[in-house]
Amino acid sequence: MALIQIKDLTKTYVVGDQHVHALRKVSLDIKSGEFVTIVGPSGSGKSTFMHILGCLDRPNSGSYILNGRDVSKLSKDELARVRNSTIGFVFQSFNLLPRTSAIENVELPLLYNGNKYTPAERKKKAVAALAAVGLAARGHHHPNQLSGGQQQRVAIARALMSEPPIILADEPTGNLDTRTSIEVMEIFQQLQRDRGITVIVITHEHQIAEYGTRIISFRDGRIVSDLPNSYARLAAEELEQLPVPASEVA
Amino acid sequence: MTLSETVHLATRTLRRNALRSALTLVGITIGVGAVVTMVAVGNGARASIEDQVVAAGMNVITVVAGNYKMKGEDGGGGVVDHNASLETGKKGSGARPLFVRHPEDDPMEKHDHPTARQRLGDSAAGLGAAATLTRADADAIRQGVSGIQYVSAGVHESARVLYGDRRWFTRLHGGETDLQRIRRSWTFKYGRFFSDREFNNTALVTVLGTVAHEKLFGRETDPTGREVRIWNQPFTVVGVIASTNWATTGAVGDDQFDAVYVPLTTVHRLLNLSKLNSITVTSRSAGETTKVSRAITELLRKRHGIGEAAPDDFVVQTQASLALGKGVSPQVARAITGNAPGLEQLTLEQLSHTLERASRTMTVLLASVAGVSLLVGGIGIMNIMLLSVTERTKEIGLRMALGARSRDVMLQFLTEAVTLSLIGGVIGVLLALAASGGVKQVLRWSAVVSPEAVVLAVVVAAAVGVFFGIYPARQAAQLDPIDALRYE
Ligand SMILES: Nc1ncnc2c1ncn2[C@@H]1O[C@H](COP(=O)(O)OP(=O)(O)OP(=O)(O)O)[C@@H](O)[C@H]1O
Ligand SMILES: [Mg+2]
Repeated sequence: MALIQIKDLTKTYVVGDQHVHALRKVSLDIKSGEFVTIVGPSGSGKSTFMHILGCLDRPNSGSYILNGRDVSKLSKDELARVRNSTIGFVFQSFNLLPRTSAIENVELPLLYNGNKYTPAERKKKAVAALAAVGLAARGHHHPNQLSGGQQQRVAIARALMSEPPIILADEPTGNLDTRTSIEVMEIFQQLQRDRGITVIVITHEHQIAEYGTRIISFRDGRIVSDLPNSYARLAAEELEQLPVPASEVA
Repeated sequence: MTLSETVHLATRTLRRNALRSALTLVGITIGVGAVVTMVAVGNGARASIEDQVVAAGMNVITVVAGNYKMKGEDGGGGVVDHNASLETGKKGSGARPLFVRHPEDDPMEKHDHPTARQRLGDSAAGLGAAATLTRADADAIRQGVSGIQYVSAGVHESARVLYGDRRWFTRLHGGETDLQRIRRSWTFKYGRFFSDREFNNTALVTVLGTVAHEKLFGRETDPTGREVRIWNQPFTVVGVIASTNWATTGAVGDDQFDAVYVPLTTVHRLLNLSKLNSITVTSRSAGETTKVSRAITELLRKRHGIGEAAPDDFVVQTQASLALGKGVSPQVARAITGNAPGLEQLTLEQLSHTLERASRTMTVLLASVAGVSLLVGGIGIMNIMLLSVTERTKEIGLRMALGARSRDVMLQFLTEAVTLSLIGGVIGVLLALAASGGVKQVLRWSAVVSPEAVVLAVVVAAAVGVFFGIYPARQAAQLDPIDALRYE
């Protein structure tokens, strides 16, 4: 059974007397362990779709079965629980708390999982997650002491904290240069390969979309194509070809 | 997150904006500080007035044996100056001599002086100063009347005290050890009062008043341990009593300081007596003297088996009634207090009334000051919390995306508000403690910070935090995660 089963999802915004059809009867299944990229022009409904996928929003109609459970009609608090346990978010603008250390930023999801871990355990897990994204030495740095790529890696570490089966990333490379974009995609590919995490990346850049093994195109709130990508780019290999940047020589 | 972690998070968030937080809690600090200080000063003033009233002996009640009324010749009076009646030999209450005595008519010359026997032993019916009180009466008062603080049964004599070739004719008071606690204006120039042990052993010990001390030993000699002779018995001097009050420094003839004090039991043993001249009592509160005197009167009437119509065979007088009579001829005093029964109570009750009214006014004033300052402080907190919610919209959205429920967000902001107001309140209490100390040091006012006021202040501060924090916290909790995340 597919991890995500979506059928006839619609979302309509009403602004004044104008109806904006952000999603029109979208149907799709995503299996566990897939690396899906979603592309489409601005305003095509990608973010709206991701909000519903991420249980931040509810559709006007249609059904959404996540991990065998219909989540399209859950209450706000129940949705919060599902988000906490099932989905790791990565945002375009990183969304790290300012003037707060990397470790504390990474700990955040564990503050809301019902005291499953003691503060000491939380800290240990946060340090481990930072190490997994190559930032072991930056635990006590604040966001303004980190580069954009490093900040996005802190955000990925945060997304991994409650060990979710799904990572949802909306334009994760939108604020990054080419090299750091590839570094971020490499981490995603590694997570999918090594941990079997389902990765869904939204982007409007086709180069980034080609890292996925399945590419879905949106236009006007509809899926216009849904194709497997057997020639997915491999970020790890590409990184080896690139010259090492001066900042990381030391 | 556990509650302690929530509080920890709140304090850290507030510390990040340290100056802003400090300025916000100043309002609460000033409010709480001002109120606690003013309550302390108010309490202090009330306590010190009560102290002064007690120090002035306003809570002293004297029960004197006998009653002039029994003679049937005085229609009005219930009050007698017992000193005058017993000191006929010296001062004389000229108008109505009860015992015509010569200075030589002195019970110490012989142990079992007939005069003493007569006065204390016999129930001389019709005599104003009949010996109608017993130690059993004193014990009954001690145990059976509520609101009693100290009781001392007394016998009053005149005695010749000899030291070497010096001799001094003075008052001799037989009393109990609590007498030293009843006489608030006493201080021990030398030594101490006689002890319970000496009292129980009918020891031959005596405490001198300053005047007797000066006449026998001279002002600068420490007489403790020396021996004086009274009634041909050797008495060891254990202490000298002086007055702390400049107004009552003893002069010759003064009843308290031109006197010697001996355990009542010793007097009873040497003179072979059992009756008393007086029982001196203090009530715990000055405002209760009237109530306590009434209770004593009732108790003694019952004990003495006095019928409804019969007059008392004793007189209960308060310090106030004595003070009223001072400087007025005894007849006039008797006429005044006799014709206006309860006059002495009036003064005390008026005093306590005035005090109560003043403190009620003070309370109302304090409450309004407290209310206004806490309102202002609370609005300050609300203002800052609303600003904080707006500033941290994105943070709220993020926390929600990561799994925070509405109530988690609500709790976080409410905790911040309450932490602010609580810190403000605690600092206010500390400032109030410092200010009360300062008032004591600099202005020499007494200020009493009561624990109740402190607890109440802190609780009210917390309540202000909750009340004014709830609206901003709800604003935060009701945010939509998507809108909040998008907020710039
Ligand atoms: N809260 C909202 N209220 C009204 N209309 C909205 C709202 N959110 C999105 N829309 C509309 O829905 C449509 C889809 O928007 P969406 O954000 O999903 O696009 P997108 O594909 O993510 O675009 P981009 O690539 O620019 O991020 C747009 O026309 C947008 O104006
Ligand atoms: Mg978008």
